[in-house]
Amino acid sequence: MQRRDRGIAQSLGLPLTKRVKESRVLLVGAGGIGCEVLKNLVCSGFGSLPQYYGGEIASEISDMRRPEIVVVDMDTIDLSNLNRQFLFRKQHIKKYKALVAKETASQFNPSVNIDAQSGNIFDDKYDVAFFEGFDLVFNALDNLAARRHVNKMCLAADVPLIESGTTGFNGQVQAIKKGVTECYDCNPKPAQKSFPICTIRSTPSQPIHCIVWAKSYLFPELFGTSEEDSADVTVTEVDNVEEVAKLRIEAEALKTIRGLMGKSEFAQAVFDKVFRDDIERLRGMEEMWLSRRKPEVLCFEQFAPSMDKSEDVVERGRALAMKDQAIWSLAENLAVFSSAVDALSNRTLASPGTPLEFDKDDKDTLDFVASAANLRSHVFGIPLNSEWEIKQMAGNIIPAIATSNALTASLSVLEAFKIMRGASFEQKGVSKLTISHVAPTHNYMVTNGKEGFMLGGSKMVFLNSRSTERMITTQNLVPPQPDCAVCSPVYAKLRIPSNSSATLQDLVTLLQEKLGYEDFSIQADVGIIYDPDLEDNLEKGMIPAGYIKAGNGFLTVVDEGDEGRVDLVLSTSFTPNTTEADPESGLQLMPEEISLPSKHKSVAESNGQAMTTTEATGDASKVAAHFNAKRKRDAEEEVVGAKKRAKADEEVMVVEDDGAILLDD
Amino acid sequence: MAANVPTGATEPIINGTINLPETTNGAMSGVAVNGTSSTTVPGLSADEIALYDRQIRLWGAQAQERIRSANILLVSLRALGTEIAKNLTLAGISSLTIIDDDLVTEEDLGAQYFLREEDIGKPRAAAAIPRIQELNPRVNVVSGGRLSDLIVRDQTFYAPFDCVIACDHDSMTLSVINTAARFANRPFYAAGMHGFYGYIFADLVGHEFVIEREKSNIVTPIAFETLTRSVLSVTTKKENNGKNTEIVKKQEIYCPLILANTSPLPPDVLGSRRKLKSVPALLPCLRALFDFQRTYGRLPGHTSQDLVVFTTLATNKARELQLPSETLRSDFLRSFIQNIGAEIVPTAAFVGGRLSEDVINVLGKREQPIQNFALFDGDSFEGRIYSLYSAPPEIAMATAGLDGTMPMEGMIGMPNGMLMTNGVGNGLIGSNTPAGVSNGNAADAGMVFRPTSAPADGTGVVNLD
Repeated sequence: MQRRDRGIAQSLGLPLTKRVKESRVLLVGAGGIGCEVLKNLVCSGFGSLPQYYGGEIASEISDMRRPEIVVVDMDTIDLSNLNRQFLFRKQHIKKYKALVAKETASQFNPSVNIDAQSGNIFDDKYDVAFFEGFDLVFNALDNLAARRHVNKMCLAADVPLIESGTTGFNGQVQAIKKGVTECYDCNPKPAQKSFPICTIRSTPSQPIHCIVWAKSYLFPELFGTSEEDSADVTVTEVDNVEEVAKLRIEAEALKTIRGLMGKSEFAQAVFDKVFRDDIERLRGMEEMWLSRRKPEVLCFEQFAPSMDKSEDVVERGRALAMKDQAIWSLAENLAVFSSAVDALSNRTLASPGTPLEFDKDDKDTLDFVASAANLRSHVFGIPLNSEWEIKQMAGNIIPAIATSNALTASLSVLEAFKIMRGASFEQKGVSKLTISHVAPTHNYMVTNGKEGFMLGGSKMVFLNSRSTERMITTQNLVPPQPDCAVCSPVYAKLRIPSNSSATLQDLVTLLQEKLGYEDFSIQADVGIIYDPDLEDNLEKGMIPAGYIKAGNGFLTVVDEGDEGRVDLVLSTSFTPNTTEADPESGLQLMPEEISLPSKHKSVAESNGQAMTTTEATGDASKVAAHFNAKRKRDAEEEVVGAKKRAKADEEVMVVEDDGAILLDD
Repeated sequence: MAANVPTGATEPIINGTINLPETTNGAMSGVAVNGTSSTTVPGLSADEIALYDRQIRLWGAQAQERIRSANILLVSLRALGTEIAKNLTLAGISSLTIIDDDLVTEEDLGAQYFLREEDIGKPRAAAAIPRIQELNPRVNVVSGGRLSDLIVRDQTFYAPFDCVIACDHDSMTLSVINTAARFANRPFYAAGMHGFYGYIFADLVGHEFVIEREKSNIVTPIAFETLTRSVLSVTTKKENNGKNTEIVKKQEIYCPLILANTSPLPPDVLGSRRKLKSVPALLPCLRALFDFQRTYGRLPGHTSQDLVVFTTLATNKARELQLPSETLRSDFLRSFIQNIGAEIVPTAAFVGGRLSEDVINVLGKREQPIQNFALFDGDSFEGRIYSLYSAPPEIAMATAGLDGTMPMEGMIGMPNGMLMTNGVGNGLIGSNTPAGVSNGNAADAGMVFRPTSAPADGTGVVNLD
């Protein structure tokens, strides 16, 4: 033990300190939370086993078992990261986050082992076996898809996951363990925010409506692929069928105008189409304006006195576009609109095959959306906004500060201490080599005589920055939702030699013989490949048909029989060596013994346990409500809603509205 | 409306020729309020907006400009100071002055991540400053000299700073700094950590801030909300999304650490069995630790003798706080003692992070600040905040009709004539100052500055009830 370890050894005690040092942990994301988590891990000595351990030289320990912090992040460093991602400096801009994070953090503790990988966590190489190599996984991500993916991989690998997220002053940490706690997907997430098509196209009343119109309708119609694909706008029940039909015709007309691209009159043609002709048509629909202000028609020509040649307008627009804090006047918006159309047209004509996409950091596209949105706002009597503000709404920028990340990351690592202190924590690092392999005991749920005591006393923790009474709010962890499609199945592995000729029939037979399946269906990534009435695929080879892929493939087996056993999810991979494989097909189920309880039984059992309490409110129903109502499209947004409810008992009712507007990813 | 607002009388009078920063930013109140010290700042540059984009989107350009003009004094650069220095430098303050001339030891390297092995034996601040500076070249990070020089400085030293932060020190040193900062009318934060446990103390003298919230149907009254917090004004604005936002300007008044350390729990806690039961044992333990340090000049070790002494102190403190006897469990005491003196980064990151967040908000004059004692327990995930407030003597005495002077014997390290004579906080006296919080405080204040010969059983402490 080095003297630099004195603090951690004194606080954690020697047994836990040893576990921490021998641990092998995965950090997914080296951004705001990730930099802070990495610093905490490095300084606490995670993965810092000395070169010699128990007579073994560290270099001889298998790569998959070496005590180490593995950091995976696919992003590069941007200027706007530097206010909080403190492992990065200005000279690191455009470099890979994972690599620079390792470089800086290694200096905090030279005895720590860090493996930095600038990869995408969805890559095939990050398969279930990869995840199985870790004692703990930390999520420090910024998007829902990756969070859900890592959640599923950790369930399949049966590795505890510490999930975290922040937005503004808010933050949240949640520990997840298969079969013990709720998983990330136990609570359904509402579909992403979408607006009725008529609100966007005919009757906008807020700036966001005009921004969505510019970004998801006008921009793709002119420079990208059509609106049909946009998830921001949907035809809903409130939409008028006839109006929707007319809107289709309107969009078609715009496609014709697209043919003028590159000609000097293009910007004017677009302008007059969308701000004059379309608005005139709308004005004609009297019943629409009985309770609304009629839109005002704009005409390109009316600005003619304030402009000379279109060249100058383009130049003027470019200069104006630099002033993104100011709210541009109507004429200024027109100038920016003209220059953006000019720039985007040139780009489209230069590479005709590649449609442009809106990107908040692509200045031309942002200029276009900001000016078009403001022009439309003017038409409908809606307040105009600065480009800087529009960027936030259009790009779904979530405010992020150093302190919230630091607080959240600190809680993540304190949770890690809790989990690792838990009675049955099974070390995956070196100890697997030095002691004989012990089958997982699955008793993370040591109750300690207390309700909700799981994972060594780990809790769901929320930052509570605006409270006068608490810096954090906690809730006990909750058992899994029995009907969760992601964590209620039994996870097992299916291995196949990479040159196997095994067919779907071979798998069906295997499942029938080994697991006693009768009526059942199999779902692959491509959809349902087998059920009692679907036998067309039986003769297809598992590998040629794409049912089994090298990397992160999953097959779900659903018992359709009366008994209804829980679903079985098979993570598929190629067999490293074929000696143990079934000689017939090479298909091999792991583990050998798979126990599949009845669905009904499992539901009944779990209902008894699914009580929850909260320290903040002492009101279980409130928590349940919040759990069901929240889970928006990102943990960042969850925090806001959760905290509103959790704080309901406090004397100051705090309403937080600095969350971002939910548009898209 | 005005009747409900604390009606301050005079501006604070500060010895010497120190210019006060701009103080009140509204006609509502004559209360001295901490402000940023510089005059007009030119707007943020495009580079600054790009760099600070994600935080400006949270607290706005005006708050960022205030942050940019702020000069901060940080005393002690151990694990907590490391986190605070990092966070404030990232946020983009004007300058950070660090005072820590202790020599770097090998133990320091564990949690003080701006230090390297080659720094062992060098003064801490000097060794770390170049690496802190790297975080943000726009911030001027400098050493403020020696701690022994600091504690004999009067308020003129503190006046140029917009906020003073002191970590890790004993209550005596903290109080000396606190008192001098208070005379300079500067907000003061203290923090300490012991393994999984930590605390933050705030004395912002008088602080005005704005909170924005969605307007509810219930009218926000212009009145006192607590003993220390009042609503000064309410305005509304309509947001882009059609919702109405309420902009509420509030004020908090504070007391110094020497008073907070002997203050009772607030009435709402004392009056509720449930709330009283939930007060963590960490509070009496921290008070006991301050007392132990004052008496013995060191932290308790793991000897049975120290254990007994500390347990007695903690028990007395729990009784003094009127906590139920079951609060102070032996397993917690053992764990607390085990953790004393240890630095671990996750705790430092929380306590230092939360303190930094408060400082940034205070500079930006936004959001509710800590009032006034926050406790963090990283083992049980608890983070309570209690208002341990007793009206400062000048307020207490003015309320009682006294003349505002008070002989204070036994003061150590205090510049002559500094105490009690200059009327800081006169503006805090309001007709609504609650009665009953002012008795006995002057005596308590004196206690802390006694020479360190007090008996270890805590009997020297005046009980407030």
